[in-house]
Amino acid sequence: MKQLLLKLEPVIWLLFGQGILVGTMLLTGWLLVVGLALPLGLLPAGALDHTRALELGSNAIGRLVLLALIALPLWKGAHHLRSLSIDFGGGARDAAVATLLYGLASLGSLLALVAIARL
Amino acid sequence: MAPSAHPRAMAPARPGRTRTAPPQTAEGWYAQPRMRRYLLFDATGLVYLLLGFLMLRVTWALGSGRVAWDRVLANFENPLYVAFHLLSLVAVVFVAVRFFRLFPKAQPPRIGPLKPPPAPMIHGLLYAAWIAITLLFVTILCGGLFA
Repeated sequence: MKQLLLKLEPVIWLLFGQGILVGTMLLTGWLLVVGLALPLGLLPAGALDHTRALELGSNAIGRLVLLALIALPLWKGAHHLRSLSIDFGGGARDAAVATLLYGLASLGSLLALVAIARL
Repeated sequence: MAPSAHPRAMAPARPGRTRTAPPQTAEGWYAQPRMRRYLLFDATGLVYLLLGFLMLRVTWALGSGRVAWDRVLANFENPLYVAFHLLSLVAVVFVAVRFFRLFPKAQPPRIGPLKPPPAPMIHGLLYAAWIAITLLFVTILCGGLFA
């Protein structure tokens, strides 16, 4: 498993790096709208209506943005949590932790493709 | 292009006679301010992992129809979700600021025939892109564009 993880390291680092860069840039706007404007009642009526949201999310760019918003934070999260586990003496259990976390990120990414195909 | 060298190509044939102690972690390393910030940066991974799965739920609900979509939006008004979203916003801003500061330092000295732009320019471009994308995203989601 360690050998496989070493081979996959460049791909994991690519997804992790993009998770920080792209994920962060896209998530800020989403969190401002859903985390603040929505509960405070600041959103204009119908802004997040299902019909409009589906129109926005189901075109090619919308699907790509949604895929980035799901998959990239998952890989950023998985890699950073693995790093945290190693920092706290988890060198011996690293293969198991990495398999679990990257497995979760892979599963989430696959489900993201299914969710986007359903739009 | 020449093949890359073996990582131990320059290592002596036989290990030296100098005895070295195995590496040890300093006592209380995690309490040092520098390490605390570093660990906090790593710990944002949990928030990002949860956010990824939450976005998956949102997208799934969008494809499931109006009832599921309205239910998700109604859930987001629950104080627990509001608290999580606010924590996530703090985590995302922290990650962005720290990553943007590190980004110029991580550039190679040359990218092909070109030298990367000076660090302040990279820094400025990253912040400009972040603000522009966030404004665009907020405007679209609030109905200011593509309404």
